[in-house]
Amino acid sequence: MEGALFCEECGLSLWEDSQTHVSTRKLEDGNSEFSVKSGWGTATFQDRNQVIIHIRDAAEPVTINPLGEFLMGRKDSSSGIAPDLDLTPHGALEKGVSRMHAMLRKGEEILSIIDLDSANGTYLNGQRLVAHQPRVLRDGDEIRLGRLVLHIYFK
Amino acid sequence: MELVQDYYATLGVPPTASEEDLRTAYRLAARRFHPDVNRSPGAAIIFRDINAAYELLSNRQRRSEYDQVAHAATAPPSLRVETYYSRQFLKPMSEPQLVYALVKITPELEVSLTSDAPMNLCLVLDRSTSMKGPRLQHLKSAVHRIIDECRPQDHLSVVAFSDKAEVLVPAQHPTDPRMIKALVSTMRPDGATAMLQGLREGLRQIERNRDTRYVNHVILITDGRTYGDEEDCLRLARDAHERGVGISGMGIGEDWNDQFLDNLASITGGSSTYIISPNMVSRFLHERIRSLSTAYAERARLITAPATNVDLNSVMRISPNPMALAATPQPIPLGTIDGLSPTSLMLQFHVVTQDAPLGEFYIGRADVSAEVLGSTQRAERIVEDLSITISEDDVDEDPPAELLDALSKLVLYRLQDRAREAIASGNIAEGTRKLEYLATRLFENGQEDLAQAALHEKENVLSTHTLSDEGAKRLKYGTRALLPLLGDGKND
Repeated sequence: MEGALFCEECGLSLWEDSQTHVSTRKLEDGNSEFSVKSGWGTATFQDRNQVIIHIRDAAEPVTINPLGEFLMGRKDSSSGIAPDLDLTPHGALEKGVSRMHAMLRKGEEILSIIDLDSANGTYLNGQRLVAHQPRVLRDGDEIRLGRLVLHIYFK
Repeated sequence: MELVQDYYATLGVPPTASEEDLRTAYRLAARRFHPDVNRSPGAAIIFRDINAAYELLSNRQRRSEYDQVAHAATAPPSLRVETYYSRQFLKPMSEPQLVYALVKITPELEVSLTSDAPMNLCLVLDRSTSMKGPRLQHLKSAVHRIIDECRPQDHLSVVAFSDKAEVLVPAQHPTDPRMIKALVSTMRPDGATAMLQGLREGLRQIERNRDTRYVNHVILITDGRTYGDEEDCLRLARDAHERGVGISGMGIGEDWNDQFLDNLASITGGSSTYIISPNMVSRFLHERIRSLSTAYAERARLITAPATNVDLNSVMRISPNPMALAATPQPIPLGTIDGLSPTSLMLQFHVVTQDAPLGEFYIGRADVSAEVLGSTQRAERIVEDLSITISEDDVDEDPPAELLDALSKLVLYRLQDRAREAIASGNIAEGTRKLEYLATRLFENGQEDLAQAALHEKENVLSTHTLSDEGAKRLKYGTRALLPLLGDGKND
């Protein structure tokens, strides 16, 4: 590759005799999987869109079709609370997720998040939300429920 | 500690900038980092910062308030960031071109002498059956030495683990070294390696005295693999990092999982060490703790936010404690900044220059922040733009000697890395060819022992089709140990 000072194939210096080694073959690079996108994406959320929730350290993302309101929290059979997304399998209890922690709400071409006055708070891109005040979500936003980190993607 | 933003640095303007300057700088920066154009790691964070900075500075009244506060708090920066490029001039090309940037972070010792920042240190020790004999004996005497070397202001705790963890020495000031040593001496080899237990208990001990004025660090020493709980350990490390706690790993012998331990350490900006023979435990442990005890700043991190058409392909800490760091996610944890030697990082960028106009070309940033310890304790943030020039002309450039030296070593590390990859994927011919090249380059560099090891390993791969555990570690950590820049190295 243009600009290489040492041959990636054999480790030889290309710098002193750059006449003989003009360009090196590009090697298949195993670590070019730059899939982590931490951007501010679109805020437009159409009816046909789905939400993909990546829970940190979870093997599989969760895909949902939020119709109206979607509750995230921790299932508690004694009080009969059954959230739409139960985070118990993801260490909700030790990470301080409340039983009724936060809600996603679908509006006119937008998706918002509302903290339900949770004990440890809901954070949107690192900023703590005021309870019961909706905030518009963007594709790629990071949400933190207590210490549990989620990423929201629109599809 | 709240990170005090330098809004002017964020926008890349001097504090004397006019409103027009601010507007121009804001537009330029917003164009570079707007998420619609820049999806690179770190860009979103920077875009947010830029908006906050412009929002404040463009308001005349808020700016003057900020100036007063900032001025009162402003001392000369206590860290210096310098960048050296492998080349400053690139031609317009559709193919990606390589640019290396050596980023050097140096404490300004004139500003504040090396701190005597207290350590909040926990040693987490493997006492599984395999540690029996010289390994445990040497480990005990290494820990005894550390107990003697701890300063009155330090907190020390010691946790031993096998199937479960036990606290040998609860977190305390080392006021009674004899008693603490006696407690360490009670350690007996027995059971399997359940690292999660040990790590969790170690972090619990750290938590008792955790303080942003301290260097909060766990050193994990093991000789084996932990089964089934590696992911949980990594999760624990991420939590620890968020709380400002560092983790370093040391592996004795051949049987531990080097990729796991490297990963565990790099999550927090810590370091990993390969200890070939038990009688070297003391030396390495002493050296690691010495470098923590002369910490100048803690919880250092780097954001690069490469521009569109630029990829950050790899990041290597060259010195001290050389270590491959993950380029994502960002910020990249750098851990402790040693007060006695500069921290050097090698960044490798792939740059596509095709559609860019001639002239200055922005690659990304070196946005370094850290918490300076000691009497001048404060958050420091230095922002440097990384840029080169696009030109049609042929420009003869001599790469800086320091960068060239580091690269000549880095290429050796990469060769072993690629050999290992090839062999792991079954490409034996490719792998052994790489090992042979590696041996040749090592001989040229005067590293005879390591060169012999590479040749020996090549023979081994030809007959067994796999790298030996010992050979893989020797080549990896052996080539990595060559990295520290001349003059920075502390090899004793």
